[in-house]
Amino acid sequence: MTFFAAFLAAAPLNRLFGLLDVSAASTHAIVSLLVVLQLAAPAATLVLVGLPALLDRPLREQTTTRLVGGAFTLAFLAGLVTLAVLASRGFAPEQVHLGTWFSVGHHDATVDLVADGLSVPYVCFSTGLCALVNAFAGKYLHREPGFTRFFVLLTLFGTGMNLMVLAGSIDVLFAGWEFLGISSTMLIGFFHERTNALKAALRAFTTYRICDVGLLAAGVMIHRAVGSGDFERLFEGVWPNADCLVSPGNATLVSLLLVFAAMGKSAQVPFSNWLPRAMEGPTPSSAIFYGALSIHAGAYVLLRCEALLDAAPVARVALVLIGGFTAIHAALVGRVQTDLKSMLAYASMTQAGIIFVEIGLGFRVVALVHIVSHAILRSLQILRSPSALHDRHELEAALGGHPGAASWSVVKLFPEKTQAWLYRVALDRGFEEMAVARFVVGPVRRLLERLEEAETAWIDWLGTPAADRERDRAGRRQQQGRPR
Amino acid sequence: MTLDGHDIPLLAALTAAIVAPLAAALHIGRGGAPADPRQPAILSLVVALVASLTITRFWMSGPEVTLELGQRLGGGYLVHVDGLTAVLLPFVALVELAIVMVAPKRFLDGPATVRILLGAATRLALFATSHPLVLIVAWVATALPIWSSTRATPGGQIAARVYAIIMTMAVASMTVGTLMMIADPPWEAGGGAVGASGGWLVALAVLVRKGIVPFHSWYPALFRGAPMSTALAATVPQIASYTAVRLFFGHADHGDGVGAELIVLSQLALLTATYGAALALVQRDLRGLIGTLAMSQSALVLAGLAGKLPMELNGAFCTWISSGLALTGLGLVGWALESRAGPLSLETPQGRFADAPLLAAFFLLFGLSAIGLPGTLSFVADDLLVSGSLDEQLHAGLLVIAATVLSAIAVMRGWLMVFGGPSSVDGPRHHLLPRERIALTALFGTIVLLGLWPAPLVRELERAGSELLGVPVGGRGAAEHHPDQGTGPTSPSGDAS
Repeated sequence: MTFFAAFLAAAPLNRLFGLLDVSAASTHAIVSLLVVLQLAAPAATLVLVGLPALLDRPLREQTTTRLVGGAFTLAFLAGLVTLAVLASRGFAPEQVHLGTWFSVGHHDATVDLVADGLSVPYVCFSTGLCALVNAFAGKYLHREPGFTRFFVLLTLFGTGMNLMVLAGSIDVLFAGWEFLGISSTMLIGFFHERTNALKAALRAFTTYRICDVGLLAAGVMIHRAVGSGDFERLFEGVWPNADCLVSPGNATLVSLLLVFAAMGKSAQVPFSNWLPRAMEGPTPSSAIFYGALSIHAGAYVLLRCEALLDAAPVARVALVLIGGFTAIHAALVGRVQTDLKSMLAYASMTQAGIIFVEIGLGFRVVALVHIVSHAILRSLQILRSPSALHDRHELEAALGGHPGAASWSVVKLFPEKTQAWLYRVALDRGFEEMAVARFVVGPVRRLLERLEEAETAWIDWLGTPAADRERDRAGRRQQQGRPR
Repeated sequence: MTLDGHDIPLLAALTAAIVAPLAAALHIGRGGAPADPRQPAILSLVVALVASLTITRFWMSGPEVTLELGQRLGGGYLVHVDGLTAVLLPFVALVELAIVMVAPKRFLDGPATVRILLGAATRLALFATSHPLVLIVAWVATALPIWSSTRATPGGQIAARVYAIIMTMAVASMTVGTLMMIADPPWEAGGGAVGASGGWLVALAVLVRKGIVPFHSWYPALFRGAPMSTALAATVPQIASYTAVRLFFGHADHGDGVGAELIVLSQLALLTATYGAALALVQRDLRGLIGTLAMSQSALVLAGLAGKLPMELNGAFCTWISSGLALTGLGLVGWALESRAGPLSLETPQGRFADAPLLAAFFLLFGLSAIGLPGTLSFVADDLLVSGSLDEQLHAGLLVIAATVLSAIAVMRGWLMVFGGPSSVDGPRHHLLPRERIALTALFGTIVLLGLWPAPLVRELERAGSELLGVPVGGRGAAEHHPDQGTGPTSPSGDAS
């Protein structure tokens, strides 16, 4: 927090704002407007680009990229101004209440947004990245048949991301979270003619939906605990030092559910095997989703609810264990990957695991800085990967052979037998996929298929008159050469 | 009984809604539109939709517009228009209109159109009565066109026979049960064992008619064997749910306003919702997928209807409408695609995206709308249903969550299998016809509109639910104790621990 405050205190925009001496009410109005703008810009673009496509009248490529780029730039600038305003006020959170969406009995679904030291820097970072990736993708996907589809999904993702980040209630956060999952799935399956892309998309979506149960249940528990999904009823104070307002029991339950939800989106073991396969999508989407934003969505939710984690030591221990195990697993498996994108996917997974550990240990600001720096580096690496491969091939051609690998590795410190075993474990991706397939997916699938077969047989029996059944049986016997 | 001033326009609108499709059916049946029966059918259903919306507008205008006409026999009125009817009538009219607009030409000859219109008129009439004997007649009248249409379809004999067996069982159970309830009314003081047994027979009828486990198999069978229009008309309006509401709500012998029969039904419905969604995961063809999804979603409605909290009841009503509209859209998109490309398997990727991108987009949108896409009514419905179920019973909430998760995975698998895979171009790109585009856009637009601005619908459904339960609006559940409530920012020291 001090980092951001110090950074912004030096910014000319902040000095200018300080000179204006704006009242608290005016500040609230300005922040509200800016926050709505951050959300409305990508949402409006989603409609502007998506609706003509749905009516079979897609916009031209240049118009599409300009609209999308303009929306993200506008949201980015609005975020920067909000950041300056907040910094001038010591990052005191500003609640933006847009109204009650619907209300039944004691259940109020409010549309609340929050601008604070976590959400606004994150929005700046995410919209800035989206704007850059938009510029890259405009060239990269030129004349690609799914050009408009990509940008529709990118704006859907941007809208969902901003909704999730700015959410002031669990209901709004869940809505944004769902948009993230759907856009991510559709982009993994972007090249729909490839069977592997379809399988990867279904795998990712299945993982997301299973882990979404955690967020859904957490939302219900929060409603039960405080009668509303508003975060201001859950914790108060300035992030990252907010105080928890619910009982430790409720805090622990909700935190554990949030950890479960975060494990899916952030590809933590045993829900990690979708991530390397997610690289089937176009490079720009891989960069922004699995190198930068989507992979950190789980970590963001945990940071948002850090006050609950403070009151839930069990959940923090779980976070450290899960994150630590994932980091080691991914670091090991990543070392034997033979393609660049898979290697980068495991590198992302390693960092996401470390970020979980940081959050579990209570280093919230470190985790936030880690997320931002890792996301920027990783998205650059992924965007650069196609041309890096090209460069590598040119280098090899120039040298007349392989330039050689690093001669030393930490693995060489282990005995040779252990090295061989670790190599086998890494090649089999830690046996994680095999275990899930053999002990979970396989038996469930076989059971369901048997049930379906029984259903079909029952319907055939019920729907066929007895005389016809007897005739069919006789016919079959005759064919088999076994007369009655 | 006398008619009040506001009853007459209400009755006129109701009459128009029912008579318009009947008149069109008569016109077409007499050979009035041999070339294109679609036009008069669309016109009549537009009239029915406008008339239904007029009734909704009347209901929303004030609390004193409930219309109850006819003798109160067996707990119901011959004509009964309240909040539930006011919401369901436009829903049914819109679904029927969309079916007629999208139906491929070869499925919409004169007799088929007459069957659709007669079925529509009967269903609209059914949703405006609470009289048990009329409900029985309406059950038969709605089932006959469905059976006849299925039987006339090549390869539909098995489905027709299954449907006939199931409906015979349901109607017989309903008739005997209702007569027993009328003979010995359980809702009156001193009601005896005969009436109570009748109630359980009616519950059995609802169980069978709604396709609840173990009587569920006719749902996917009908979707596989009948024209899509028939399968949708048979399942989407949820006649059995309506019957359950009319016959099991507001009885004096149930302290919480919900019949014990409904509570038992709801437990079986929870299992059905999860089981149907699980079966949807391993379907081998698109029709089977839509059938099992319809079975699951329909069961979710019944599961929520037994809720003692307005939230859960409201969630059930919202699911009724949202899943109905979404599944209609999904079914119609599937039908449009089938009419262009033949039967669609889910065993291998069919590669249909390249030649039908708009159908792919609509399939995805309707599919996601059925499983809780934010911004659609199903998101609101899921929120209310899950919250209400978990508030009331943990296992109910967990089963509802499991059903929604499994349905979502099944829908995504369906989309990827139908539209993904190497392109199988077998002719020119399949554009949507204007009538198809209008119908699908209107359906999806309704789902989105109600999802983005759900407050009026939710408020009216809460009012209708409170009236059915016999409690004031927001009365039950509003004053529930929350362990940590009141520990807001102004009272940080109030930690409930």
